[in-house]
Formats: sequence, structure tokens, C-alpha cells
Amino acid sequence: MPQIELAGKTYEVDEDGFLQELDKWNEEFAQAYAHTEDIDGTLTEEHWKIINYLRNYFQQFGIAPMVRKVCKDNGIDMKKLYELFPTGPAKGACKLAGLSKPTGCV
Amino acid sequence: MKTSLKPSDIANASDRLCHIEPGELTPLPPPYEDFNQTVLLPLKPEKIKNVESSLDDTVAIGIPRPASTEEEEALVRQFLSGLKKLFEKENNWTFLQPLLLSMEHCTRCQTCSDACPVYEMSGRKEIYRPIFRSEVLRRIYRKYLKPGGKITAKLTGDIDLNWATVARLAELSYRCTLCRRCAMVCPIGVDNGLINHEIRKLFSQEMGIAPKEIHDKGSVQQLRVGSTTGMPPPAAKDSVEFIQEEMEEITGYKIEIPWDVEGADILLLHNAGEMLAWPENVGAFAIIFQAAGISWTMSSEAAGYDAVNYGLWYDDVQFSRVAVRHADIARQLKVKKIVIGECGHAHKALSVIADRLLTGDLNIPRESAMVTLEDIVMSGKLKFDPGKNNFPVTLHDPCNMVRLMGIVEPQRRILRKIAPQFREMTPHGVENYCCGGGSGFAIMSGYNFAEWRNLVSSRKKFLQILEAFHDEPREAPKYVCAPCSNCKGAVRDILNYYHAEERSNLFYGGLVELIVNALDGMKKPIVHFGDKPSWE
Repeated sequence: MPQIELAGKTYEVDEDGFLQELDKWNEEFAQAYAHTEDIDGTLTEEHWKIINYLRNYFQQFGIAPMVRKVCKDNGIDMKKLYELFPTGPAKGACKLAGLSKPTGCV
Repeated sequence: MKTSLKPSDIANASDRLCHIEPGELTPLPPPYEDFNQTVLLPLKPEKIKNVESSLDDTVAIGIPRPASTEEEEALVRQFLSGLKKLFEKENNWTFLQPLLLSMEHCTRCQTCSDACPVYEMSGRKEIYRPIFRSEVLRRIYRKYLKPGGKITAKLTGDIDLNWATVARLAELSYRCTLCRRCAMVCPIGVDNGLINHEIRKLFSQEMGIAPKEIHDKGSVQQLRVGSTTGMPPPAAKDSVEFIQEEMEEITGYKIEIPWDVEGADILLLHNAGEMLAWPENVGAFAIIFQAAGISWTMSSEAAGYDAVNYGLWYDDVQFSRVAVRHADIARQLKVKKIVIGECGHAHKALSVIADRLLTGDLNIPRESAMVTLEDIVMSGKLKFDPGKNNFPVTLHDPCNMVRLMGIVEPQRRILRKIAPQFREMTPHGVENYCCGGGSGFAIMSGYNFAEWRNLVSSRKKFLQILEAFHDEPREAPKYVCAPCSNCKGAVRDILNYYHAEERSNLFYGGLVELIVNALDGMKKPIVHFGDKPSWE
């Protein structure tokens, strides 16, 4: 299993960089990981809103919600979501939120 | 690097058996020539230092490297034990006969090679030839399992069985999409696709080797959680509730998706990926069924809302577990029949292959949604305005549904009625080419496998799509109708990879979306081209 080191801590990730130990997630992880997903500087309140939303949904349902639901529940459009997470909601936002890579025919 | 590789070379020590150089892939027409020198970038050494990667430019499974020679030898013995089982009636009663016929009767006429899109598009690389991997297996089988095989091997074709052979054969079984175009053209009915399937099965059932996307995160997760997407029942219900709201907003038509209705005429099985990635497909089915007054239901039982059965591609045991589960859910709900939504492999899995498993009261009638939808569209119950679909449409034929089941015309009769600018690809129907995402490829993305798919296995499909629309102006929005979740995923990825939306205004979607788009009573269109609605 590949590992990455962020802010002095080591995490197990899959070959695409998705966190494998979901309980190890913390805010420093998200912040330290942001630059690899093309986000410059400090994560803003808007980023955190999405990250926390994804984590809450995941805790309740065991998966990430569909992209359209992310937009609707957070009052943003797809364009804005991609502005916040340039590598995309599944790859970028879920990765920072410490969620697994989407699976199945999606 | 040798240009004419032989099956016996698979045992040779080397870092890479096959490599595609810039310019070797089949050229793309304008405005895509800038991709013609594109090839796979080498995988970073640190990414593959612990996995077997000596076949070609990509890695599909990522088999851990054995730590010692002893471990390698043990794995080779395990492989041979699995191979033996493939040829025993008690261990392989389902596929033994076609396997034996295909093993014994190939005359190496190479008709199949010309039919294989992976072989053709790759610049005709030997290892991708349909008979290459079959010949490797055949030689191992003859030499190591037949009496006197080691003596006759010198005459019938020799091969060394070592760990390199085994590891490469496992990877190579994931360079074929099981589209079985090769089997269709074989003059004597040899099925190299089936041989490939049996190789995958040996690796999974005997050695626990399979891509994690289709096994760990696929069939295992489906049986544990309820869906290959990881959705447990409450998540499926939450998603569907959201889809209901969305549909009303998008089309102005209010739907109520029924759950767990005992005694309904139809249990509709969607590929659960639709609920997350293409919610309008699930919504469009509901609109059509509701508008036509159909008695139907979805099931919230684990696996009852996910038609997926990835076992079809690599493991008979996993296949059987899921197939029986599907049938049992339908039996308990006392529905009259199961209708399989727009998912190609689920069609073949539950209708055809499971037919040998489902006996007694598990043998519930199963029907393709193509047929159900045709009945509805042609019944006259619903009114359509085809003018709303007045844009160029072409149809992709999912291999499992079309070539491998013969469901060719229902979807076409629908399109001819509701899509005035429908045109065929060349070739089409049972001769159509795979999307390149077949047999799990569309969902396999570790390492650089998705890029290999976009460049090699989906390339023929991309050329076919471009050809179907070649006489249309660039700015005209065009719709590739792909009635299969897996195919849609592959088509979406090629359109993205080659920037085909920007360059050719190409879009994609399913069949039910087109039906609803032309359906009378919808206040707004369900089909959009980017931000633009397809009609006002």
C-alpha cells in the first residue's frame, strides 16, 4: 500500500492518493493535501463547507452523494464546484474529505 | 524490442514485453491529429516497484511481486492446479464443453485478429492478438497437463511455465474487453473471448487474483453492503428521493418512484451507478413507466437496487451468488417479471448466463428494458413529438446486449420513431465495436489503466462516433445514445480525453432520456447540451 507524508504524519493511500484509513482524517490532512489537487494557499470557508458536507453525508450513508446533490444542498452550481476543486468533485473534493474513491459503474 | 513476438516469449525475463511507440496507434482524423503522437507515459518506478508490470505500458491488476523464488514456485503450482480444474467436469461444468472445443480446434487462420479493436488500434501488437493469450494457455495445457506433453511440446509449440508467464498471463487477460467480436467472425466457432474469461476465472477462483474494482470494491462490496457503488439501502433511497425532486424541477413532471411493492408486474433493476452518475436515467424510466400506467417497483433489499453482476467477467462463484440474490429478491416480492435497465452486462448475466442456475421458483421471467420500452413506445399509449429530438443521434450497441444476446431492433425501432436524425454507426448491430470499457475496463482506473483504455481499447469506438457524424457541422450538438452504464462511462471518458465536446460538440446519454425528451406533456427538456436545453 503506498504511503504519503503530509505535515509530518504518514497516511496510507491507494494508488490514486485516496486515504485508506478513513478514521485518520483530520483538517491538517485536507489542508496539506490541497496543493496536489490544484488548490493554492489556504482552504477557504467555502471549501470547508463542501468538505464537511461530504463527510457528514458519508457518515450518514456510507457513500459520497451525487454531484448534483452536492451543488443543490450547498447552493452552488457545477461551475463554482469546479472553481473550488479544480480536479473535480470526485477526485478533488472527496479526496480532501478523506472519502474513498467512488466505485461501481459511475 | 522484437517486432514479431512469439507466445513462448511470455516466459522471457524482461522489463516489458510490449511497448507502443508514438505514431503506432491508428491515426485519428482532424481535428484530433494532435493526439496522434500521444502514447502512455511510463509508470513511475516508485508506483510499480512492488507490483508485476512486465507485460506492457500499463497495469490493470497490480499483482504483488512474490518475495522469493519459493513463493514464485508455489504460485506457479497453484496456477497449474487451477488450470487442471478448468478442464474437469466437476469443477467447471458450466463452461467445460465450449472451452474444450475452443482449445482443440483453432486453426490459427487469424480471421479473429482483424476483428479485434484492441489488436487493430494498438498498431497490431502481437500480445493483443486474440489468439496470443489462447495460444499461451493452450501450450501450457498441452505441455503440463496432457500425458507425454513435455515430449510433444517440441512439435506442437513449446512454452516455459514460470512466474513471469503466469503474472503476464493474468495481466493479459485484462487487455481484452470480452466483446467476443473474435468469436463472431471465427469460421469454426472458436471463442477466444471465452478462453480469456476462463483465464480470468482461474486467477480469481484459484489464486484470488482480480482487479480490485471488480472484486473487492465490486462483487464483494455488493454482497456485503448492497451495491458496487458502496450504497447501502438508505443511501439508495435517499438518492432516489433526490432524483424525484430533480425530475420535477427539470421536466415539470412529478414522479413517485415505488419501492418494494409486492405483486407488482415489474421489478426494475437499474445499475446502481445510474443513481449516482446519471440520475436522469433513473428519473426518465420512472416518467415513462408512470405515464404509461405500468405496475412496477424497485427493491430496497441489499443488491435488489443494483443490477450489476461483475462476476460475469471473472468469477463464476461471485456471479452465482449475485444472480441467485437478484432472483430471490424478485421471488420474495412476487413480481411477474424482472426488467433489466440500461446495463449491458446485467442483461447477459441475469437473462442468459443465470439461466443455467435459476431453477424452480427462482426462474422468474427476465426481460430487457429495450423490449419493455419498445412495447410502451409503440403501444400508442403515449404521444411523442419527435421534433423535440431534432438533432443528430447515433446509437452504440452494448456488446452484451446486442452481439451476445441478439437484442438488435427494439432500440432502433424506438429511435426511428422519436429521433428524426438518427443514423447508424458503421458497422453496427451485432457487428458493432465495443466501447472499449467492456468487462470492467470502464471502471478500472488504477495506475494508468484508464489512459490505456482511452488511447487503445476505446479508440475504435471514438473513430466510429466521429465517422457517424462526419457530415455534420462542428457546431451542431450531437448525441451518442449508449443504453448501458458501463458503455456510457467509457464514452464519457473518451469524449473528455479527446476534448470532443469542445471540438465536435459531442454529447452522450442513454435511450430513456431521448424517449422522455420527445414525450408529450413535458414542460421542459430532459436532454441538455452543456448549459443549453435541447428545445425551448
